[in-house]
Amino acid sequence: MPVPTTGHTTESLTTWLAERIALYLKRQPDGIAPDVPLAEYGLDSVAALSLCGDIEDDFDLVVEPTVAWDYPTVQALAGHLMDELAAAAAKGGGA
Amino acid sequence: MLIGTEPQDAHPATGAVQDGDGSPGQEGRAVARVAELDRRLGDPTDESNELSYGRLVEADEAGELPEAGERALDELGLGADFVPRAEGGGLERLDTLVRVMRQVFRRDVALGLGYGVTSFMAAVNVWAAGDAAQRERLARILTGGGKVSVAYHELAHGNDFVRNEFEARPAEGGGYLLNGAKQVINNADRADAWVLFSRTSPAPGSRSHSVHFVEREGLDTDTWRVLPRYDAVGVRGCHLSGLRFDNTPVPASALVGEAGKGVETALRAFQITRAALPGMAVGTVDTALRTVVRFALGRRLYRKSVMDIPHARATLSGAFTDLLTCDSLSLAATRSVHLLPEQTSVLAAATKYLVPKLLTDAMRELSVVLGARFYVRDGEYGIFQKHIRDLPVLSLGHAGSAACQATIIPQLSRLARRSWFSDEPAPAELFRPRADLPDIPYDRLTLASGRDGLSATLVAAVDGLPGATPEERAVQGLALQLVDELRRIQEASRALAPEDRTALAAPGTFALADRYAVLLAAASAIGVRQQAARDGGDAFLADPAWLAAALHRLARRLGRRPAELPASVDARVHEEVLRRFHARGSYDLYDTPLTG
Repeated sequence: MPVPTTGHTTESLTTWLAERIALYLKRQPDGIAPDVPLAEYGLDSVAALSLCGDIEDDFDLVVEPTVAWDYPTVQALAGHLMDELAAAAAKGGGA
Repeated sequence: MLIGTEPQDAHPATGAVQDGDGSPGQEGRAVARVAELDRRLGDPTDESNELSYGRLVEADEAGELPEAGERALDELGLGADFVPRAEGGGLERLDTLVRVMRQVFRRDVALGLGYGVTSFMAAVNVWAAGDAAQRERLARILTGGGKVSVAYHELAHGNDFVRNEFEARPAEGGGYLLNGAKQVINNADRADAWVLFSRTSPAPGSRSHSVHFVEREGLDTDTWRVLPRYDAVGVRGCHLSGLRFDNTPVPASALVGEAGKGVETALRAFQITRAALPGMAVGTVDTALRTVVRFALGRRLYRKSVMDIPHARATLSGAFTDLLTCDSLSLAATRSVHLLPEQTSVLAAATKYLVPKLLTDAMRELSVVLGARFYVRDGEYGIFQKHIRDLPVLSLGHAGSAACQATIIPQLSRLARRSWFSDEPAPAELFRPRADLPDIPYDRLTLASGRDGLSATLVAAVDGLPGATPEERAVQGLALQLVDELRRIQEASRALAPEDRTALAAPGTFALADRYAVLLAAASAIGVRQQAARDGGDAFLADPAWLAAALHRLARRLGRRPAELPASVDARVHEEVLRRFHARGSYDLYDTPLTG
């Protein structure tokens, strides 16, 4: 189901995540496969924590500092963020 | 008054020395325990004492922990100090544990680490994440005088312990099989139990490790062994060795917390040990300073005593000032574990990063005054060279300096955007050296929060009216410069490129973490002086002179060139150095009476 209040889609989140993670790793975004664990690309725990801050800043969404550990691929993270954004929108909209 | 914008609150000035029913309260128990250790360990300058500095140096030369020291700590039941009161021990306040351990560290770093701190480092994992049965078993070992080792690291992977290979493979029919080796573990050979950090899944990442609490008794002795002992430059008495396991079965009940949550458990436990350990070594540098003061008063050069040489005198005042700064940061960090657990990750990392550095620098400066004597291995000054070799170990171990900076780095841009110049100042309780504290809320320690009340204390400090005295005006001028520095750190942190927010960040990012740690130390010292002035407690801590000296040194450490301090500042600090030397009062926030 689309989330009109945020305008985010799984595709847009996947693109955002791949681009952001590529910056951390100094790689090209198209080199980050959505289903490969980020740790296999060498994303360290420090960068994983930084990613949480980025999510907070860009989406105004507070996530657990361990989110990139529990959702270890771009695909898993994008799915989780969609759920969280939908939940936040539902709460914010007072539905 | 400069620092007085925060409203008065209703809390008592100091901790209750007595509980309501007349029995000793937290502070009463703390003072009594510190005095008990000092009394039992005796005057270290008295050569007839079996725990004199001379005898401690002899044990070090022999590569052994002082047998009399271990016996004394056994009799004192020091292991119970690492066990929460709720589990039948004596641990209630982390700042108190630091004060107690300072009595050991001022005599012998190796004894402090080898007897106690290792067990404490192991234990916090179980207090933070273990179940009731594990906590009870551990409490029984420690209160019974036993030791527990902690093994996170493997040499090949250093502080990058997520890459560890030591394995605890789930066994058919339940439990785990241990495989592999752990290196450089204190007391591996004689501990009753070990807290092991192991890989429980082959998947990469941070959900593939678990913590196990493994008791030595009942293990299949054919499948494991202790590896040969290491030789070290410092803490030579410590039993540093390794463990090797070969398909050693351990029961499922050995698992601490959830499977796969080992990295998280370890990082939460680290916050407690990073906050507490560095301040223990304030006692070590206290001894070094005391040794050099004795030397400076006694030795005559150029027809004057060394104490009359301006450089020597300034060095001693500087070392004392740095000890007060270190203790202020240590106080804020340890009390933060109880009061602001959500904010502790950054503060504890800053403490573990900066305090060992400040202490090591102070030792080196003191060694210049001691001159050639600092190389002498025996006699009156032998303890100095032992302490100067032992102290650097504090920066190593479970959290190297760079690892601590790496904890701070990913949080900088978030703090810059969300907290600095907008957060509420830290509560007054954070800065009261003798005030009561609630129990440690282990489950509220978190890996990152984006909040920082301590730097807000610094920012709030410059809002007050200009000071009435030259010392107060000096403090205000320095605080303004430090707030300006926070502004610069904020700008630089906002501008950090993504690749500079990883463990492989450019050196400039590590420097940013360094500068931020210095500001947290300054904010802690400001908070301590602020509360002392408000509480009408310790007159020296309430005096702005020491704070002006402390902030001046921190500003210079940041490369600033602050205006010269009024001459009265050095006079006041110097007078206190001498007073505490003659009165045998400790060189920290407590001015604790010492036997020698």
